[in-house]
Amino acid sequence: MLCQNCGNAEATTHIKRIINGEAMEIHLCYNCAEHLGYANMFSGFGFNISNMLQNFFPEFTRALPSLDQSERCPTCGTSFEEVVRTGMMGCADCYSVFYEKLKPSLSRIHGRATHVGKSGAYQIESTVSPKLEDTVAKLKAELDEAVKVQNFELAAKLRDEIKALEGGANNG
Amino acid sequence: MAKWYELQGAENDVIISTKVAIARNVKGYNFTIKLNSEEKYEIADKIDEILDKKLPGKFVSTPMNEVGRDLQISLAEQNLVTPEFVSYAEGRTLVTTEDQSLSIMVCEEDHLKIQSLLPGLELEKAYELSNTLDTLLDEDLEFAFDKKLGYLTQCPTNIGTAMRASVTLQLPALSMRGQIPKLASMVSKLGLVLSGAYGEADNPVGSLFQLSNQVTLGISEQAAIDNLKSISLSIVEQERAFRKDLMNSLKFQDIFWRSFGTLKNARVISFGEFMESMAIIKVGVATGEVEVPCEKLNELIFTMQPATLNVAYGQSLDRGIRDAKRAEAIRNVFE
Repeated sequence: MLCQNCGNAEATTHIKRIINGEAMEIHLCYNCAEHLGYANMFSGFGFNISNMLQNFFPEFTRALPSLDQSERCPTCGTSFEEVVRTGMMGCADCYSVFYEKLKPSLSRIHGRATHVGKSGAYQIESTVSPKLEDTVAKLKAELDEAVKVQNFELAAKLRDEIKALEGGANNG
Repeated sequence: MAKWYELQGAENDVIISTKVAIARNVKGYNFTIKLNSEEKYEIADKIDEILDKKLPGKFVSTPMNEVGRDLQISLAEQNLVTPEFVSYAEGRTLVTTEDQSLSIMVCEEDHLKIQSLLPGLELEKAYELSNTLDTLLDEDLEFAFDKKLGYLTQCPTNIGTAMRASVTLQLPALSMRGQIPKLASMVSKLGLVLSGAYGEADNPVGSLFQLSNQVTLGISEQAAIDNLKSISLSIVEQERAFRKDLMNSLKFQDIFWRSFGTLKNARVISFGEFMESMAIIKVGVATGEVEVPCEKLNELIFTMQPATLNVAYGQSLDRGIRDAKRAEAIRNVFE
């Protein structure tokens, strides 16, 4: 189906609308949807984030059958291929199961941000925040502080620690 | 009882309404996409139970598959539910206060979408309403939350605050002067998105636009609301300036008075024609020379759409009859 706006590209965004008392669907291509301001799923326009995810993970859309079926969320059984295809997570645990894979697209959507604002009534530690990342961040802050007060002995020690941790992460 | 849109709102010459929606998912259940109907109704039952206990008599719960098609469409026309919500009724429940200013769409995309709707620009008040209900439900339901990612939602675009605040603006002068594309690109740089609110995507009916926050992770609810409010107010000022300017031209004055005449005198009018004429009439507010009943006209956006008229008259009206009823209601506003 072609985009109703430009008539050139394949329509990938389907917006549900009520027009003259009837439920209708407007079909737009990715560019027109973005240009017209419909790349915003939450407001109920039915923008499909899977378009975006599929752009991030083209390998999943090209070779669906050959996918590794072993990686599934133990809680709801959703596979990563399903997440990419539908643009939807199956349950809250999917976020920690697929976090590493989703990281690039999450930061494309949200930047490198961490949640600020309201917290749930039942505070729990993050299940997606790898301990390592936090440790390195903490050490880096300490390093900055050490350099500032010209404690180069400590700074060198911290630098080596950070290097070791980051090296380990990259190799592992 | 009066509906939310019959109340008075701030800046209602330009801003029609404010909506603050918060998405939440109940811990221990898969997301909506992985639930069957029974599980969806189980969540709705839990919500009913909590509300009955904590706020008895304040909310009414309606499974969408128990109401007729006209009412379903009418709820969407009134901006109370999304067109998506009524596109498939099974498993979905609407929980709402009597004036519909506070409601929950159960099992639309996320388990709960807690939303408040108010006329005019009322972002703080709308957020407070949604936030209070969210806090109250969280005590018993426990919502899926992660310290780093915030509230977890079915779609990764909404994680963090999972809050979408939006205002509906009527921008006839900026539209006529071709300013919308420029405006849209400016607000997108500020983390907001501007889109047509009604009708076709590229040509919104009655120059109605929706402005909402795009970013949900790394920005607090309060900061997002402050940002949306200050940009909304600056758009309001721009629109008013362009309106004043338009009213200086004799050519536009002619268009204005003809539209005024249409609304005041028409015997038969479609919803589209009403919206276009009303948008033009709003331009005249800026000069203060003509008395324009903004509040009443804004209210008609929600009451004069086809399915809502059918519901009001308790039957599927013929188009001709509907257009006559609409014209009559509009004439009453000017009396």
